[in-house]
Amino acid sequence: MPIPDRGGPLSGVRVLELTKVWAGPYAGKMLAHLGAEVIKLESATNLDEMRAYGGVDINSAPYFLSINQEILSVQVNMKTDEGLDLVRSMVAESDIVIDNIRPGAMERSQLDYENLRKVKPDIIHVSIKMWGTDGPLGYQTGYAPCFASLSGLTALVGHEGETPKGMNIRYGDSTAGACAALAAIAALHHRERTGEGQFIDLSAVETMTSLVGDSLFAYSVTGEIPRPDGNFHPEMCPHGAYPCADGEWVSIAVADDAEWQALCRVLNASALANDPRFATLKRRLANRHALDRAIGDRTFGETAADLADRLRQAGVPAFRSQSSIDLCSDDHLWTRESFRMVTDHRNGSRPIIGPSWRMKPDQAMIERGAPLLGEHNDYVYKEILGLPQERLDDLIARKIVD
Amino acid sequence: MSALKGLLIIETAERVAGEYAAKLLADFGAEVIKVERPGGAPTRRMGPFKNGESAVFAYLNTNKKSVVLDLDQPEDRARLDQLLARANALIDDHDETWGEAHALSYPAVSTSHPQLVHCIITAFGQGAPQAWQRARPINVINAGGWAYHSPSETTADKPPLKGAGRFLPDYESGIDAALCVLASLHRQRQTGQGQFIDISEVEVQVNRIDCVLDRMLAGDVEPSAERTAYDMGGPGTSFACRDGHIYIFMTTKAHWQGLCGLMGDPDWTKTFREDWLEFDCTRENVTRFRQHFSDWIVGQEKIPITEAAQKVGVAMVPVNTAADLPLNEQFIHRGFFQQVEHPAFGAVTYPTVSYRMSATPVRIETTAPALGADNEVLGGVNAHS
Repeated sequence: MPIPDRGGPLSGVRVLELTKVWAGPYAGKMLAHLGAEVIKLESATNLDEMRAYGGVDINSAPYFLSINQEILSVQVNMKTDEGLDLVRSMVAESDIVIDNIRPGAMERSQLDYENLRKVKPDIIHVSIKMWGTDGPLGYQTGYAPCFASLSGLTALVGHEGETPKGMNIRYGDSTAGACAALAAIAALHHRERTGEGQFIDLSAVETMTSLVGDSLFAYSVTGEIPRPDGNFHPEMCPHGAYPCADGEWVSIAVADDAEWQALCRVLNASALANDPRFATLKRRLANRHALDRAIGDRTFGETAADLADRLRQAGVPAFRSQSSIDLCSDDHLWTRESFRMVTDHRNGSRPIIGPSWRMKPDQAMIERGAPLLGEHNDYVYKEILGLPQERLDDLIARKIVD
Repeated sequence: MSALKGLLIIETAERVAGEYAAKLLADFGAEVIKVERPGGAPTRRMGPFKNGESAVFAYLNTNKKSVVLDLDQPEDRARLDQLLARANALIDDHDETWGEAHALSYPAVSTSHPQLVHCIITAFGQGAPQAWQRARPINVINAGGWAYHSPSETTADKPPLKGAGRFLPDYESGIDAALCVLASLHRQRQTGQGQFIDISEVEVQVNRIDCVLDRMLAGDVEPSAERTAYDMGGPGTSFACRDGHIYIFMTTKAHWQGLCGLMGDPDWTKTFREDWLEFDCTRENVTRFRQHFSDWIVGQEKIPITEAAQKVGVAMVPVNTAADLPLNEQFIHRGFFQQVEHPAFGAVTYPTVSYRMSATPVRIETTAPALGADNEVLGGVNAHS
């Protein structure tokens, strides 16, 4: 069965992924959402853990369904030589290979870049590891909060004066995947111009480090070590999240005196507007803890969304701090199709989180949810590799395709 | 050799999101011409400063060129059109009203330059209400949910946090914008045609939590107003040690046994089941563990104890600071930090990129440009030269 052309800017680009959990699959998802044909190599005896979490049915595991839309699934047992030969045949028909499996595992299977380029001289191979593929700490593995801690990012995030707790424990994997996708497409441009492929060695720790790049660079320039600083901003005040009714919060960022006066008007706080402690940015910064308390006292009875709306109308940048239930019921996100429906084998359809971009013209179609295990065996083995049905049946019978 | 050699990108962006997207492409080797207003880009006025120069500007504009154009003036706007006529892509991050006023909206650019890849980054995407357009990074990260849920385990009385530094959501948006521009330039190579790319910063935030938030959207898990709705449970968190902080993450019996051995098997560990992390990980046990562990780890030094932990399979790591990173042997091995001589700062250390590319390594070839340093690329007489 041929795969329908979904259009999009990466239409015609084929990606193989040997990925698990989140960072690697997220890279594959981004490329698929841009129109690439992304084929995930899977095996019943070596499953992506995301097919197991939170459910008994590997074909309807919520974690897996939440990431792998428009991905194709092919089964192959990479613990067999014959299976590895099939993988090499697929590499020969691909543009990009993405992996995020354990350090050393690609080498042990002779699927490292040097071996891949023997099969496909201009292949682009992106490898995502916590610390990259080699080096003194390259053997270490870890979880997202570990690489955020190692990266320098966690050290900057915390309430003032407290132990830096970092971003939410989930932060890190997806951004590493996004950077892997970015570097892969940069390499595709080089290949198109010169015919040369390459190996891209991505460190998830360094991805997090690059997200605090200006802070680290400022340290190099000034010698001042940046600290966890709550919501402090050296050039805006007030700048923070302020308590509202029902446990809600509103974010407010005031850059100049006009915005400050507008904030005071909306809060009916002429006493603050006229308070010499808060008259200029410099004074507001010097007295910011008192200022934050004074503002919090006045936002406390307000409904966050209403207050934010009035502040924006008055020219003060403000927005409600959104919880998971706020996001799930956000009209703007649904209307803009940030949340959209795809097909789903179990229920017919499932909402997903669509890409952060819209394109005109020729946006890639995103219509199919995550694949069943091996859903695209026929397509990969018969149409791409040209194997006859009897050969595929034999591979299945001998569990080379499992 | 650089990956994007031969591509010409014009940057009219004036916020960190767009400047970072263009920096990513410039660092890959594209020719990026930054269009600055008379007096210079707003980021030139962001601190910290040394010898009169902004460190933020210096960081965001490596490998770029600078020209000065007053886009309110018809002659300069026409000069921009001349640049766009020979460019591959345009990166902008102004709101729709500004775009309409300067003939740089999607309809205007797609008509005048149909071959161009045109990317606009805005807080909520094209078509959002006008009053929403002026949103700052703290508003974006709050609108997108990460602030409400950070740090993990934050109690209801503490404010949501803006994230690391001032610009975290801008960097995330810059990555998606750069990826889309490169994908679209791939299409341009095949077809000769341009494309319009509309990036929503809030949607970048939402997309980064897909495997947690989508399960709520689909009804697999209940969404809620809980500050802990994205959390995983378990004892993982940061702890103070003698010379800073460490982070520990544990989920298995092997992790626990490794840690007990590392601590010298103190008596209190025997009050926990050896498989407590998997089968008895109650809030009470987590609290009890943290009390005992805090008392022990506070006497340890972060580097020796985390190295010892790694050797016994315990995922305990130092919470590295800005001062630690340039000394870290793995960062040194990978060459992540690059020493560069900056005209105002002297020898300084630039963080580079997380991807080491075998054929086209990313390098900082030139420091951020002086204002209008490349006005000659405009050709002819420039009013501001």
